[in-house]
Amino acid sequence: MNKKSKALSNVFMICVIVWLLLPLAATLVYSLFRNWTEIVPKGFSFNSYITIFSNPRFISALYQTVLLCIIPIIITIIVVLLALFVVTVYFPKLEKYVQLLCMIPYTIQGVILSVSILSVYGKAGGFFGNRMVMLIGAYCIIILPHIYQGIRNSMHAVNMNMLIEAAEMLGASRLYAFFRVIVPNIITGITVSSLLAVGILFGDYVIIRNLSSGGTINMQIYLYQAMKRSTDESSAVIVVIMLLTFAITALVLYLQSKSKLEKIQKEGR
Amino acid sequence: MSYIRFENVNKSFGNNHVLKDINLEIEKGELVTLLGPSGCGKSTLLRCLSGLEQVTSGRIYLDGEDITDVSPRRRGIGMVFQQYSLFPNMSVKDNVAFGLKMKNVPKNEIDEKVKEMLDIVGLSDKIDQFPMQLSGGQQQRVALARAMVTEPKVLLLDEPLSAIDALLRRNLQIEIRRIQQKLNITTIFVTHDQDEAMVMSDIIHLFNAGQIEQSGTPVELYTSPATKFTATFIGNYNLLRAEKFGKACGAELDCADVAIRPEIVKMSREPLEEEDYYLLKGTVTNYISHGNIIRFHVDCGDVWLNSDVVFERELAFNIGDEVYVGVEKNLIIKL
Amino acid sequence: MKNIVAAEKKKTTNKYLYLFAFLPFVILVLLYELVPLFMLIIDSFGSDADSSILFTLENYKKIFTTVGYQKSITNSLKITFISTLVGMIVAFLGAKSAHTSRGKCRSIFMTVLNMTSNFAGVPLAFAYMILLGNFGVITQIANLYGIEFIQNFDLYSSKGLILMYIYFQIPLSTLLLIPAFNGVRREWQEANMLLGGRESTFWFKVGIPVLLPSIFGTISVLFANALCAYATAYALLMNNFKLLPLDISASFTGDIASKPKFGAALSVVMMVIMCAVILIDNYIVKKTTTWKTR
Repeated sequence: MNKKSKALSNVFMICVIVWLLLPLAATLVYSLFRNWTEIVPKGFSFNSYITIFSNPRFISALYQTVLLCIIPIIITIIVVLLALFVVTVYFPKLEKYVQLLCMIPYTIQGVILSVSILSVYGKAGGFFGNRMVMLIGAYCIIILPHIYQGIRNSMHAVNMNMLIEAAEMLGASRLYAFFRVIVPNIITGITVSSLLAVGILFGDYVIIRNLSSGGTINMQIYLYQAMKRSTDESSAVIVVIMLLTFAITALVLYLQSKSKLEKIQKEGR
Repeated sequence: MSYIRFENVNKSFGNNHVLKDINLEIEKGELVTLLGPSGCGKSTLLRCLSGLEQVTSGRIYLDGEDITDVSPRRRGIGMVFQQYSLFPNMSVKDNVAFGLKMKNVPKNEIDEKVKEMLDIVGLSDKIDQFPMQLSGGQQQRVALARAMVTEPKVLLLDEPLSAIDALLRRNLQIEIRRIQQKLNITTIFVTHDQDEAMVMSDIIHLFNAGQIEQSGTPVELYTSPATKFTATFIGNYNLLRAEKFGKACGAELDCADVAIRPEIVKMSREPLEEEDYYLLKGTVTNYISHGNIIRFHVDCGDVWLNSDVVFERELAFNIGDEVYVGVEKNLIIKL
Repeated sequence: MKNIVAAEKKKTTNKYLYLFAFLPFVILVLLYELVPLFMLIIDSFGSDADSSILFTLENYKKIFTTVGYQKSITNSLKITFISTLVGMIVAFLGAKSAHTSRGKCRSIFMTVLNMTSNFAGVPLAFAYMILLGNFGVITQIANLYGIEFIQNFDLYSSKGLILMYIYFQIPLSTLLLIPAFNGVRREWQEANMLLGGRESTFWFKVGIPVLLPSIFGTISVLFANALCAYATAYALLMNNFKLLPLDISASFTGDIASKPKFGAALSVVMMVIMCAVILIDNYIVKKTTTWKTR
């Protein structure tokens, strides 16, 4: 009976795996063959990849995507770290409000966030009316829940309050203790949550579509435009996007397994 | 004048009155234990002394100075926490050196002092390892070294051994006591384990519900508990209603309860005939072996008594045996 | 020592100085979360035609009386409900399988889930077009062999959207449920077996009740994820389909005239739906987990 349920589990998992991989595999095959109307595709070539990588617009989209990931993530990490430091150390009563504010974006998501920012700042001039500023602001908010949870969970995992108390008893100020003792210990957690945020920003289409003036494009926008031009090109773009996402995912899994391993070693003692 | 003095210290968390008018004095060089069940306020008192908690009212003096409003980092107090308080990203050396760095001690002096202190706690060979590579007991010894290396005025130990297994724990108790006596450092130790308190302390302060129930040396507390609480918390006293006990041995007692240590309860197959003994008769109902001591449960009608007998060659009594029981009159504690 | 005490007094006032470190957070949240949301709600009571009207329910009236917008709401709800339900069922079985099996299959499963958890939006729509679009590979094969149900399947409809939404719900929901299954102890299952229970008895009497909070937590995440999804639908159908997020976005950046006040009202409707689901969800969790609070 036990064996049977194990076999059944494996069959089910394999079905899901196939179902999930099918669209990916199809896209990959599509990007590598010129002709695929029967079961067996024909005409293997790397042409689509050569086309996109020789297109300066694609390179610029790639570059802007990376930039649009890094800037909001750095801003959000710094802002959340500072806020959580002040709140956990000096004003613990404020913590639940911070949590609430950080969780709201979870429920409003990209569409509403982007249109609401657009309607407030869309017609404003100067700094706030700058489309890039609006975009970065929206990105900061959309990743806020993930960064917040990542940082907070790792703070709990290292038993932050006890470590700060210990440092304080040894003559360190709380600020020093936070940045010299706590931050180095939660750096893995911060990295993992920012990589997850990269995944989210990488896949964003709606926010940048609604907020960018057209000059700023990311990979998703480029892909959408490419879809109208050529299916071969867009399949290659998707493969590139997916490869980048996999690289990020692999890094996340690696970091997580490493910190889990450390934990197991610690508890095994 | 005493080295540490708590004066009418009160502490509340919301409506929860955790410390009630604590007055306590501690002499220099002593190892004092705050003993009590969990939630009795002993840890809170320690944290008030460290400055990690603010007192609600009252004053705290250390070495003649009022330190009630001084921040923890300026009090010159060392502290060892339950567990996992070592900085996981720093090596043993950096952990121990941390406090000295905060005091801007020159680097060569730091190295010297760290080595010396690790020598004392017996971990010189682990100097470059990280906390996660150490066992729980080793981690706590590093934490001890870290707290002591800055030569604090007082060392506070907040249940430092509670997460460590029994055998190692006994060794560490002796170890900590040895180091404390060697460095002659005033130490306050918090625990809920009465055996641990007995092994380590010069003075024990027994806490109950936010107040000090009784203070004294381990021997004093063990041999003459002043209250029912002390008698139940320390040792394995037979605690009986005086009325019932009096009835069972045909005597009048002018108190509410009596506390009788099991080792003064004598058992015999022959009738005991001694003047200054309370005499009873009963049946052995069960026995438990505590290694070298066998504890017999005796049913004496209205009262039940435990009697400790040192195990010699063979079991002195069996279940169902009729026995005569005697308790020396002036060893009984009237409560 | 007196100096130290004096320094201490200064320190307590310094505590409020630390609020400066809190300021960036407040500014960010205020500027890009609270003010826009607040303005959106205010705007929803305004009028696109006449900017002097400050309070009118006209927009809401229009939403609930126009067939087209009613259709958007029902379409959104239908697609969201079905994809969430199917996603949850697959996730439950998937997480249970991952819990039962400890082998290589499980680690591949986990890797694939992680890999595909970001595969949504435009790329997903494209991949499905390759597979099931008018000239898609599977469609061609179906034509070749005359497999009717695939031939008749129209990707460019709510059916197609549901299929794609289910696709992106599965990795997310499974990844959220797997950790919860670690809370179902093997000892409980063993105890159930020794006491003579079947496996199904265990899951219905113990397993699912213990997992309920996680299940409902996952449901609200999935619901939000599907209700607010924009790119997948837009890439497939552009604005030729009635769906709340498409309508909202179109009211602000539409090719014809933009009507931001009306769009604001649509957004508020969507937020209200979201909040209602979360509240119902929390209520059910509270009702079903009385065992957690002694």
